[in-house]
Amino acid sequence: MTTRVRPRRGDPALGAIAILAMGLYALFILVPVVMSAWKSLTNENPLQDHAQFVGAANYTGMLHDSALAASLTFTLVLAAVVTIAANALGIGFAMLLNKTSLSFRVMRTVAFLPQVLSGVIVGFVWRYILAQDGILNNILLSLGIISHPVTWLGSPHLAMFSVGLVATWVLTGFTTVVHLAALQSIPVELYQAAMVDGAGRWQRFRQITLPMVAPGTTISVTISLITMLKLYDIITVLTSGGPADSTQSTALYIIKLAFTDDRFGYASAVAMLLLAVSAVISLFVTGLLRRREVDL
Amino acid sequence: MIASTSQRLTTSNPVAEPPVVAPRANRRVWASKGYLIVAGLLTLAFVSPIYLTIVNAFKSQDQIVKNPVAPPAPPTLHNLTDALSRPDRIIQIGLTNSAVTVIASVLLIIPLGAAFSFWLSRRPARFRRMVLACFSAGLMIPPAVLLLPTIRILTILHLDHTYIGLVLSNIGGGYLSFAVFVYSGFLRSIPAEIIEAATVDGAGTLRIWWTIIMPLLRPATATVTIFLSLWIWNDFMNPQFILGPLHGQTITTGLYLSVGQYSTNYAQLFGVMFLAAVIPVVGYLTLQKQFIAGLTSGATK
Repeated sequence: MTTRVRPRRGDPALGAIAILAMGLYALFILVPVVMSAWKSLTNENPLQDHAQFVGAANYTGMLHDSALAASLTFTLVLAAVVTIAANALGIGFAMLLNKTSLSFRVMRTVAFLPQVLSGVIVGFVWRYILAQDGILNNILLSLGIISHPVTWLGSPHLAMFSVGLVATWVLTGFTTVVHLAALQSIPVELYQAAMVDGAGRWQRFRQITLPMVAPGTTISVTISLITMLKLYDIITVLTSGGPADSTQSTALYIIKLAFTDDRFGYASAVAMLLLAVSAVISLFVTGLLRRREVDL
Repeated sequence: MIASTSQRLTTSNPVAEPPVVAPRANRRVWASKGYLIVAGLLTLAFVSPIYLTIVNAFKSQDQIVKNPVAPPAPPTLHNLTDALSRPDRIIQIGLTNSAVTVIASVLLIIPLGAAFSFWLSRRPARFRRMVLACFSAGLMIPPAVLLLPTIRILTILHLDHTYIGLVLSNIGGGYLSFAVFVYSGFLRSIPAEIIEAATVDGAGTLRIWWTIIMPLLRPATATVTIFLSLWIWNDFMNPQFILGPLHGQTITTGLYLSVGQYSTNYAQLFGVMFLAAVIPVVGYLTLQKQFIAGLTSGATK
């Protein structure tokens, strides 16, 4: 319980800053959401002067938009797969590096580096690695694993896989560090007691490690999902949404509708859809993981 | 398995079986060496894309094409000097513009977030929870959702395609929400008596905030500054659309533009990428303790 402090003089100056903060927050988050909701009911287009109110036409139109269906499916599958992969790898990598000697501290420092680079740089480096005459193909060819260069970014399914691979790489830097922090808060006595009781390696992992890192996993999974639903820069540089729109995430689709196709009204409607999907997923996942933390 | 069983045996009864201990301990040393090598190789594989960026920035086009994985022997500074002597000065301009945007955004968001969180910590709990829930929405909303209306608002304010507009839009990019979250969490750990003692002296709230609360909040300020700087520095979508290509480049949009120009001149490409990456990477390596502390406080709370 914190007691409220009552100052002698009111706090008009502090109150003014608080109002300014709330005002700016409202102006750049809440007002845009309301504007977007309103525009989604119009056929606004920068080339014509007057936008008409079209009711729910943009929303019913989504039902017949196969590009939207493909983009939403790609976004959701990508978010789910990458979140699971990055967190599983993060827990594994964290357990591998959870040692105190200098060499392991160096490795831990280095493991976070993908998170420090801008998505533009990450996109370009991987585009170089995954190119048809790139390093990955050269290595696989020389090892005899493949007989012809693979078009990692040139065919729809492989491009989807490649985007997932790169996103997993970036996020694993983050999930590793979060899980390392969680691992270091586990008392060694727990493991010693379990070993005295004859618990095997898998049992110790399942009964001690996983439940004890659960709060870290909650944060890590939630942030991974949010990051994936926002993802824009890496895809833009890596594939620009192609080939054949196969890697066009919903964020990219909104940008394309707004800035290439000039369909402001419809872009706003798709934006509202992405907002709703993000909200539902964030609330659902945090609720689910919180409950699991309590259960354990 | 080997390591753990031998550890139990050696510690439980080391004196009774001296001839057995020596080979077991030896095996343990080898096991831990093997472990170190495996961990090292995996880490190296994991960061190999970063290794490529560094070594190829110091190699000629021929060296890169011949063997992209080899270390730079002999190293050349040509790529870096070429990148820095471009007539459009895209690196210098990009670095300057990014630095200005980051500094202005952080200088705006830090006092705003800290003072607001302090003010909020003195409101009734229900109101506080409601406002914080509202601010948490800012962390979750994809920026693509807000982009179009944000540009419209900036146009109405005559701030579209300006750095002021870009800085203001950063407030909405979830960055103010992040600051408020970190500060509010940290303020909960400050005992109310400290603030009370200050108020008894009759100091105004604004002065209490500046002279007493801000110094107490220093670790939170470090976290907020580090992460906001990194995120705003690396931001791509907002500079690309809010600033627009004709009105200046930050380092990310400049890089995007210039790399599009020499898509097969890898030496140039890696030189530019190296220069764009070096500031955040060096910043991270010098401040890594604070980086990890910031992440950790969020992860274990």
